Amino acid sequence: MTPPPAESVAAMIRPVPRAPDSKVNRDLLAVMEGASLGYWALLGLSVAFVGLAGGIWIYQVYKGLGIAGYIHPVFWGAYIVTFVFWVGIAHAGTLISAILFLFRAKWRNAINRSAEAMTVIAVLTAAQFLGIHVGRIWKSYFILPYPNQRGLWVNFKSPLLWDTFAITTYATTSIVFLYVGLIPDLAIARDRAVGWRKLLYSVLSLGWQGTSRQWKSHNRSVLHLSGLATPLVLSVHSVVSWDFAVSIVPGWHATIFAPYFVAGAIFSGFAMVLTMMIPVRRIYGLEGYITNYHFENMSRFILLTSIIVAYAYGAEYFMAWYSGVESEQTAFYRRAFGPYWISTWTMILCNGVFPQLLWFKKLRTNVPFLFVLSVLINIGMWFERYVIIITGLSSEYDPAAWGIYTPSWYELGIVAGSFAFFAHLFLIFLKIFPVVAIAEVKEIAIHERSHAHAGEH
Amino acid sequence: MPDVLGIWNDPGDVAEAVTRLRGRGYTDLETYSPAPFTEVDDAAIEKPSRVRLFTLIGGLTGVVTGYAMTIWMANDWQIMLGGKPFSSIPPYTIIAFELTILFGGLMTLIGLLVFGRLPSTKIDPAYSARFSAEEFGVRVRCRERDVAEVEALMRGHHAKEVSLVGA
Repeated sequence: MTPPPAESVAAMIRPVPRAPDSKVNRDLLAVMEGASLGYWALLGLSVAFVGLAGGIWIYQVYKGLGIAGYIHPVFWGAYIVTFVFWVGIAHAGTLISAILFLFRAKWRNAINRSAEAMTVIAVLTAAQFLGIHVGRIWKSYFILPYPNQRGLWVNFKSPLLWDTFAITTYATTSIVFLYVGLIPDLAIARDRAVGWRKLLYSVLSLGWQGTSRQWKSHNRSVLHLSGLATPLVLSVHSVVSWDFAVSIVPGWHATIFAPYFVAGAIFSGFAMVLTMMIPVRRIYGLEGYITNYHFENMSRFILLTSIIVAYAYGAEYFMAWYSGVESEQTAFYRRAFGPYWISTWTMILCNGVFPQLLWFKKLRTNVPFLFVLSVLINIGMWFERYVIIITGLSSEYDPAAWGIYTPSWYELGIVAGSFAFFAHLFLIFLKIFPVVAIAEVKEIAIHERSHAHAGEH
Repeated sequence: MPDVLGIWNDPGDVAEAVTRLRGRGYTDLETYSPAPFTEVDDAAIEKPSRVRLFTLIGGLTGVVTGYAMTIWMANDWQIMLGGKPFSSIPPYTIIAFELTILFGGLMTLIGLLVFGRLPSTKIDPAYSARFSAEEFGVRVRCRERDVAEVEALMRGHHAKEVSLVGA
């Protein structure tokens, strides 16, 4: 399919609406206009960190994975921890877009776009860690089932292969979902933009005009994509959890892992949406669209998933004790009281204890509190993966083979770079694409207006 | 043949007008809405979109590809792993599931493009930026002598403006 010649399409649209433009358009498109000094400073800072991390990565490719803190028997370190963390962050977007769409939870309209964008960006961030972790990046294509002269194929019985397929599918489907939702909004932007933006939006909006045929197909597509994405979102982190659970490492080999990881992913994803959207709402004055009601609903999700996660922590300890298996008991004892006790207690406090404050409505509606809590949850969820992966590997069956892993500064630099990577793409997204789904917000606004109008008669 | 364009604020009125216009035989019409309104879209086109066919075909292709690829590859170069059968269905189900979603999703996108007639290089002369604000438009193509009737029908259903496209 060739994209439409943008300039001819743009020329065909009568640019100036005779009636004044709608308030929703003006408010929400304003986010994309101009950029303050603070914006440029943040963008510059995050790009600098991405550059720094890129430099470290090139050095690592040159020197080898020896510069990471790997020490026998821990050969999955901060990179895999961060990979799992970002895949988890990617879960809120699809949950909000797909599952809440199927449940007809209209409140999702204000936050679905930003959450979907975060999903796509987080998956892209996560996917890089597979390349960073393998060290010999030039051989990373070995993971794909491609015809080769050796006649060899990949091992589909390996969870790492399942993961490759799950992440690829999730990235692709999330991008499709985000883009399909964006098309009508891109047409809104196209009708009002000038210069290079008009060209960009004309190409990306594909000549959208909002005809019945287009809306009907669009509605159907969103419904079907939601239907497909709902099991997908549950499967992705299940598959990630099987990277661990299918092995026999004490502390990993548990059937609870899939639901435990999915709940944790939704938990951390919602926290990240809060971390990002609270400042965005404040800076761009979007209080009329993203209200405290939305934040409160998200914090209810956080509370629910926190309880599930806390239950999983408890269940893990119970099963270790109840099983009577010494290696399991030792692994969990060392988690809480061994060399990694700080990580473990950070995880328990941030994910299991602090979120319980959300039982109080006063705190659920206190935006500064939610912001602080969401940051703490992000930290706690990074440590959760650290605890699972590192403590699991560091003390397996034979105490003679135990080892203590500490991430090296190079690894921490790349981990910091991943946060900068996420931030810089989100900042760019803010300025190029509508951060709130305009057409969906309008749908509700017009319905309300019609009902109010009907009430007058 | 002239094109008559009516403009509305309320989706309910648009739906009624479209139903009436089509009932009177003016079937060459197009609606422009700022957001999805099922009442308007269903009045203009009764049948549900056939995007679902594409999703179904994509999903079925995915599940077949997933099993066929994994089973064939495992048997093409047989490697014994822990005495498990080469065609190990449970792990391959994961691949088949992921490909069902992947192909289903991509085919849904293609379905949207096919049935929404996108990408389109032509923008209707009747379309304007008003319809990506908060107004609704209905464009009816009719014979010269029917223009007055179409206008009367539109105004009768609360159209706030009626004009000839290009006039």
